[in-house]
Amino acid sequence: MIEARDVSVAIGGKGIVANVDFDMQPGEIAVIVGPNGSGKTTFLRALSGDLPYSGAVTINGRDLLVIKPVEAAMLRAVLPQATTLSFPFTVREIVRLGLLGGRSGALPGEDERLPERALARVDLDDFAGRFYQELSGGEQQRVQLARVLCQVWAPVLDGKPRYLFLDEPVSSLDIKHQLIIMNIARDFARRGGGVVAVLHDLNLTAMYADRIFVMHRGRLAATGSPQDVLSDDLIEKVFDCRLRVGVLPAGDMPFVLPQSVY
Amino acid sequence: MVDQSIAGAGTMVTASDGDRSGRARIAILLLCLGLAVAVLLSLTSGASDASAVSVAGDWLLGAAPGNEALSARDRLIVYDIRLPRVILGVLIGAALAVSGAVMQGLFRNPLADPGLIGVSAGASLGAVAVIVLGATVLAPVISVLGTLALPLAAFCGGLATTLVLYQVATRHGRTSVATMLLAGIALAALAMALTGILIFMADDRQLRDLTFWQLGSLAGATWQKIGSVGPVIVLALAAMPFLARGLNALALGEATAGHLGIPVQRLKYTAIVGVSAAVGASVAVSGGIGFVGIVVPHLLRLAIGPDNRYLLPASALLGACLLLLADAVARTIVAPAELPIGIVTAIAGAPFFLWILLRKRGVIDL
Repeated sequence: MIEARDVSVAIGGKGIVANVDFDMQPGEIAVIVGPNGSGKTTFLRALSGDLPYSGAVTINGRDLLVIKPVEAAMLRAVLPQATTLSFPFTVREIVRLGLLGGRSGALPGEDERLPERALARVDLDDFAGRFYQELSGGEQQRVQLARVLCQVWAPVLDGKPRYLFLDEPVSSLDIKHQLIIMNIARDFARRGGGVVAVLHDLNLTAMYADRIFVMHRGRLAATGSPQDVLSDDLIEKVFDCRLRVGVLPAGDMPFVLPQSVY
Repeated sequence: MVDQSIAGAGTMVTASDGDRSGRARIAILLLCLGLAVAVLLSLTSGASDASAVSVAGDWLLGAAPGNEALSARDRLIVYDIRLPRVILGVLIGAALAVSGAVMQGLFRNPLADPGLIGVSAGASLGAVAVIVLGATVLAPVISVLGTLALPLAAFCGGLATTLVLYQVATRHGRTSVATMLLAGIALAALAMALTGILIFMADDRQLRDLTFWQLGSLAGATWQKIGSVGPVIVLALAAMPFLARGLNALALGEATAGHLGIPVQRLKYTAIVGVSAAVGASVAVSGGIGFVGIVVPHLLRLAIGPDNRYLLPASALLGACLLLLADAVARTIVAPAELPIGIVTAIAGAPFFLWILLRKRGVIDL
């Protein structure tokens, strides 16, 4: 369980996130949406322990401020928006760095094979020997996700849920791999872990989110299930463009259809 | 390449694709052998005709009675003149190469080198201050510290430069190449200007010492010098392997290294202090020997990859080999006189550095 109460973050004296409350249960995918500059990534970085914040954050009931980096590494893994390297690491070498986190949670003796298995999950089966720097942006992003998966291979460790923090995990991916990555997130949640993702695609959000947090100008504009949150009025107001939200005939999943900016 | 023989046999599926640790281990083994050969050759090359065979024979026989593999005169030359020089060469070559590799990992930048970015210049300033002011202003300090004063001053100079550089060049965990190189140039210029003031104050005898020392040389290696800087270098080198995993994680960025549970601040400060100690100690005894720190790690990354668990020990070995080689050239090329070794490493290293830049044109973007 992750609970954040009244979290505010200022960078260089400028308030970026103000008074955000955030709750999620293990087994859920929580998606943070909002326009550019609304504070999504900053809030996620605060949850990751990268930025000082005011307010209170607890993960599995423990105050984030007292969790040591080594413990935090066993509790959650973080996928940043993009990672560039200055040295010629191979894909396998990068993915294996995820095991530095300490406890993958895989069966004893299986750690050595995790890079292979993680790469297979992100659809990069034959990429272990390639040089990371020579891959496309989308492929690099998937390599990083494989690394993150190695770190928290088991969604539940010692009976406690673990978390994936994903900052725009699908922003540079084609549609097939967007679905593959979101399915990995869903699978992680179904097996008892928790996922916090920042997404831009409202339709993917509608498909996969159990809970949506809409951020607008550093504040929480709305929170709830996709059906509750994705409404014409709210989305138009927050994103400042005309949209129509419909419901797919087959079910109750909403979809968002852009109309025009004005 | 996928190890087809293993995968095909159906015994194991764990292919070695992209795993260069086996290759790295072999390289380290070969470098160990290479270093042994380089040490033996360095001990036996020179004006005296003690042959490699006779020195090796002397090693094997050791203190055994009737060991006459070496004459008394050769023994003196080999063990009291050449051996300290060889040990110093090994220590300094290893220190410079490992410092380069660590600094490159710390700055996440293959162009970071203590010599290029002003750390050596800062260390020089400290050392020159002790040499020039040792008899006057700093006399009380020197009387307390004794022979440790020189390496300590060089260490402080190097440390101050590195700390300032890191503060200037790194914002929010990202190091700008341009800022780093330019700030390094500025700091080096400042250190050299201050050194210039000290040189201006120096007397004739000091001046000669300083000039020769600044060019970089292993000449005048004594057991006493090894005693004063050896422990510092050995200690710094011994600490570096503990940084390897952290530096690997740091390649992904400071935030990600932190997410992987690496204590990033501690890592950074350990690396900075270790590099300053190693570079300071090296500069204190041998002056400015450039390019070892950039050439060695770069060559090794091409051969065994950037994994610091292997890169750091391999750098130490190759750095030691190359410095012994450079010293052999320095001693023989204008025999019976000898060239400062710094000139040899610069003549070989500077074109190599240009080659790196040409190869990376378009990849390294300032």
